[in-house]
Amino acid sequence: MSDTATRPLPVGHYTYDQVDHDFLRARVEQFRDQVARRISGELSEDEFKPLRLMNGLYHQLHAYMLRVAVPYGTMDARQVRMLAHIARTYDRDYGHFTTRQNIQFNWIRLEDTPEILEQLASVEMHAIQTSGNCIRNVTSDEFAGAAADELVDPRVHAEILRQWSTLHPEFTFLPRKFKIAISGSPHDRVAARFHDIGVVAKPGPDGAVRFEVFVGGGMGRTPIVGVRIHDHLPEEDLLAYLEAILRVYNAYGRRDNIYKARIKILVQALGLDAFREKVEAEFAAMDRARYRLTPETVAAIRARFGTPDLIAPADAPAKLAADRAANPHFDRWARTNTHPHRAPGFICVAVSVKPAGGIPGDATSHQIDALADIAERFSFDELRVTHMQNIVFGHVRQDELLALWHALGEAGLATPNLGLIGDIIACPGLDYCALANARSIPIAQKISARFADPTLQEQIGRIHVNISGCINACGHHHAGHIGILGVDKKGEEFFQITLGGSAEDDAAIGQIIGPALPEDATVDAVARLIETYLTLRQEGERFLDTYRRLGQAPFKDSVYATA
Amino acid sequence: MDVRSNRREQGGSSAITANRLLDGRTVWLGAHGWSEQIAEARVIANTDIEAAIEDARARAAADSVMAIYGVQLLPDTATPEPLTMRERIRAFGPSVHPAFAISPQEGQRHE
Ligand code: SF4
Repeated sequence: MSDTATRPLPVGHYTYDQVDHDFLRARVEQFRDQVARRISGELSEDEFKPLRLMNGLYHQLHAYMLRVAVPYGTMDARQVRMLAHIARTYDRDYGHFTTRQNIQFNWIRLEDTPEILEQLASVEMHAIQTSGNCIRNVTSDEFAGAAADELVDPRVHAEILRQWSTLHPEFTFLPRKFKIAISGSPHDRVAARFHDIGVVAKPGPDGAVRFEVFVGGGMGRTPIVGVRIHDHLPEEDLLAYLEAILRVYNAYGRRDNIYKARIKILVQALGLDAFREKVEAEFAAMDRARYRLTPETVAAIRARFGTPDLIAPADAPAKLAADRAANPHFDRWARTNTHPHRAPGFICVAVSVKPAGGIPGDATSHQIDALADIAERFSFDELRVTHMQNIVFGHVRQDELLALWHALGEAGLATPNLGLIGDIIACPGLDYCALANARSIPIAQKISARFADPTLQEQIGRIHVNISGCINACGHHHAGHIGILGVDKKGEEFFQITLGGSAEDDAAIGQIIGPALPEDATVDAVARLIETYLTLRQEGERFLDTYRRLGQAPFKDSVYATA
Repeated sequence: MDVRSNRREQGGSSAITANRLLDGRTVWLGAHGWSEQIAEARVIANTDIEAAIEDARARAAADSVMAIYGVQLLPDTATPEPLTMRERIRAFGPSVHPAFAISPQEGQRHE
């Protein structure tokens, strides 16, 4: 049921047209029939599994898990409320925000799923492209369209990529899953170099949009930093060029060995030059007119995005300064949890979904509803999920920041730890995930409880701690300044520590520092690493900088040297 | 999926586990059918477990369960307890959410 005729276009994301609505409705009915046939026994689990995965329905340790796509991480309040409703009605009152800007529900019943998908479709949402060997949901910069440092708002192109990739007939059965991230800022907040394809939009010399394209990055068993395959791809060739890359991957990517099937392995095996040659040959041979992204097409997609009316009172910055001066707790949070906005009088807000001792990314239906209310009241009805498992309000008036902080506080969402040691990325691990070797969440909880003091966290400064429960690396441990990887030793959990990773402009893969440790010893080891850093750091250095200056030895010694 | 957890030692005993088709929940094969409570699981000597798993698999569709396999148990516990952390979490619920621990009430509600 489309109500787009009566409501203004939502800010920050594309609005469905009738074709989109009809497609989703048909898709829900198709899945309803498949579920009915599974329940009646007509379909075996082997037959049904690929069908449910195409609709985002996994089976995890305790129940079915439904992963809902949030294209480029952006939602309006109506959509967010629907997620709260699903958590309350069909789950156990929780949703879990993931490192791919999606949300998953861990306690779903098979028989409820068609109804859930129907309700999601009513607010232009679905669970397509959240599983399987297809192009997955496209991710983007959480500060898109808002950040002061942004050069191009990447969401229109993210939407174009979404439409191009959704159920693309050629790319529904790729050798492996395929992840694309797009940013429009020179500061990489999307981990572009850790994606199968990372796209960075920038203005060309003539003012037209150009793209820098990275290929072959990824984490998992074989972490690899992606390489630049194109430096200045014209806008009109975006789809053709990406299609050419995918075709080369589809043709040459390995299907015989799941561990060697990602594009990163192909790029490494061929070498960048040979890979690029194949892409260029494909690009030259294809019917480019068919894939040409015309200014008219881009404008038509852009026209289905609402834009915020960024007008703030002239005294908004002064009001914020006064509010901060009057309240040190608010001041601390404003210092850690905001980001400069491009428009005068506005600010971006990053909400930590990582309370001290809490489960990273978990939110109750009450909190999810509160986020929707806050989006409606303070940020043009729009919010974003971040790959750090947090939430961003893109456009907040500076004179309203204090009121927003109070509203967050009432929902238990005002933890001042963004980018600090309490802001830990952790995958669900063995508490939920069927593939896990070890639990990720308890370590995250123990570290965040140990460093709960916000003054200490600020003293330690910017640091990324990332935890994965197995080598699939959903917690991006390879890219953590401190990375923790769960391993299984005869049914018992151990944890390997890596240091020196980064997902940003200085992308790097963390290096293992020594033998894996049991859980509590790992938490102690993190505390010793931090102590070592605090002792050895020079003025202005982050943990990563000190580590890079001094190398592994002092850190390794602090963990393994016996007294 | 089941192979990794399906480790067995000679001489020990195991329980048989599966997931219910309709809600995906973990269940254990007991004397009176499938139960959410591992306390009700039949303890089967590892020498007999393969045949018991085969039997259970043959009835899977009729019982509306899937992914049937055997789980090695700890020796000498009052009620059956799995050996590995993974299976303990399946049996007792996520370790990080006391409210989601599997209790008798919970089991009855979903039967
Ligand atoms: S990293 Fe492993 S344990 Fe964690 S969510 Fe991914 S597959 Fe599961």
